[in-house]
Amino acid sequence: MSVRGNLRVAVPKGVIFEDALRALEGAGLPVEVLREDGRRLFYEAEGTEFIVCRPWDVPVYVEYGAADIGIVGKDVLEEGEPNVVELMDLGTGLVRMILAAPAARTEEVRQAIEHAEVVRVATKFPRTARRHFEGMGRQAEVIALHGSIELAPLVGLAECIVDLTETGTTLRENNLIVLDEISTSTARLIANRGAYRLRNQEVAALVEAMKAGVPLG
Amino acid sequence: MNRQTPRRKFATTPGTRDVLPPESTRLLDVQARIRERFKLFGYGEVLTPALEYSEVVEEPRLRDVSFKLFDPDNQMLLLRPEMTTPIARLVAQRLRNFPPPFKLSYVLPVYRRASVGRGQSAELYQAGVEVVGSESAQEDATTIALLVDVLNTLGLETPDEFAVVLGQTAFYEAYLQHAAPKAAPAFLAALAAKDLVRVDTLAASLPGKVAAAVREIPRLVGPATDGAVLEEAAQLAGDAPSAVTALENLQEILRHLDAHESLGAVILDLGLIGRHNYYTGAVFEAYSPKLGFTVANGGRYDNLLKRFGQELPATGFAIYLERLLSVLPEEDASPLLVLVGGGVEGTKAAVALRGAGVPTLHLSEDVEPEDAVRYASSVDACWVCYPTLDGVKLAPAEPKAGFEALGIETVAERVLGEAPREAYR
Repeated sequence: MSVRGNLRVAVPKGVIFEDALRALEGAGLPVEVLREDGRRLFYEAEGTEFIVCRPWDVPVYVEYGAADIGIVGKDVLEEGEPNVVELMDLGTGLVRMILAAPAARTEEVRQAIEHAEVVRVATKFPRTARRHFEGMGRQAEVIALHGSIELAPLVGLAECIVDLTETGTTLRENNLIVLDEISTSTARLIANRGAYRLRNQEVAALVEAMKAGVPLG
Repeated sequence: MNRQTPRRKFATTPGTRDVLPPESTRLLDVQARIRERFKLFGYGEVLTPALEYSEVVEEPRLRDVSFKLFDPDNQMLLLRPEMTTPIARLVAQRLRNFPPPFKLSYVLPVYRRASVGRGQSAELYQAGVEVVGSESAQEDATTIALLVDVLNTLGLETPDEFAVVLGQTAFYEAYLQHAAPKAAPAFLAALAAKDLVRVDTLAASLPGKVAAAVREIPRLVGPATDGAVLEEAAQLAGDAPSAVTALENLQEILRHLDAHESLGAVILDLGLIGRHNYYTGAVFEAYSPKLGFTVANGGRYDNLLKRFGQELPATGFAIYLERLLSVLPEEDASPLLVLVGGGVEGTKAAVALRGAGVPTLHLSEDVEPEDAVRYASSVDACWVCYPTLDGVKLAPAEPKAGFEALGIETVAERVLGEAPREAYR
């Protein structure tokens, strides 16, 4: 981070990559370089620097000031609770955080939760899952996995899952039924606490430009 | 049984570390220079125990990060996670019968549990001040000015190398209490989490003019020298009486900061309300463009002392010294000379050198120049010398440097007068 240097933007790979690029493009940032070469991790164009990293790492780069601003899903922010300023809802990349169980055992799991029995939950979002169950006054044994969460209830690793779903296709394919919607999440623009204050004019102008460029909804 | 102890038990515990020269030298030097500035502003330095009863610290965030242990009476203790609360306790207990205000300073480490993989320290060196027993805006201004003074003294310049971001906890809260009292706690929680998106969402349910003000106030950021931020804030807040008072308080702080010639270092941010619940008024954080974290933070906490049985308003700040060190400009190490061997004659030369004010490390063994140079660089000494009949043979601590026979006085001039590494390159 540097007051006089280039503004550095962290852009997440994966599903919201294209949404993020469109939002930045709408604000007039030269994101074309990022589209051209998908392998590079660091780009510089017309006085703006871009880093491309995993969505989970965007808040880390921003919190530590290695990037001034970044784009990341609210789901990641809720799970990690990084100390960053959340500036704007891009409105894109809508996903739902859900609690789901295999179709055959839905009633069983629902009953178990109802009776405050301990259920086993597999998830990529252990803190979110724990918060959800604690919020309901229910108990859960949370198992953190890194991917393909849908597999866990099929092979008996867990009784249900807490995961993200966009269209519900993966859930249907694996015969999982949504028991509860925990939250919805969209892409957010975040800023480092120092950069937000020290380069406020630049950051505020970018937010305005993005608001003007981003079609809502 | 003769099992090996696992090696990791001999490492320092996660988040802690040994500090060696030259880093330790720099840390101690910075501490000494900060102490001087604190003294110049009339602060008295205190020491408090590292252990406190767990009840002393009430702030949930601080309790959560504290190391906890139990004393022989099975009372829960914690390693102090900060210094503000222990000093509040100290003032309430020990200084009851003395006239306020109490101007106290400290230079001590605090302890916080650090999560692995987040690059955090569990032991953080802090230097800070607390002014207890005055509600004057002048005291807020003077503590901010002292912070600016300390950072200037250590070689940081405004506005390029650091800025103090100043907010007013009471302003936004007062406006909310006036315009949307029911929703106030939700807004304050959202802002404390720096979630401006949530502020916008919550505002959607409020009537138009109030919604606009509630959205805009936390986004007002700008240099303190430019009156625009406060003007806009006054317009948005309208006639909410306590909000007007809070703004007047900010204005008075700025007038005093101007008199301190520190106004240029200040950025106003009306969305800054401080991380801890105990803040009640002006709050501030110092940032450097080289670091994503706060270098220092502080603010007014008028209700904290009440818990300890004394109703005293207070303000203060803490500087994170490791973070500060990481943004300070490099400085030349203080000169050190390695004098090699020479028996009694060597000792006499050492006495003469030290008498002339030259920091001298005297090696008792007569080692070869090559080894002497290697040793010198391991202790960050810039010079190596051997005793001669009427002085010493001196050379910069570099491989294959030529020795020069010199008198003690000349050596003192050389070593103290110039940066040898630069001079010989």
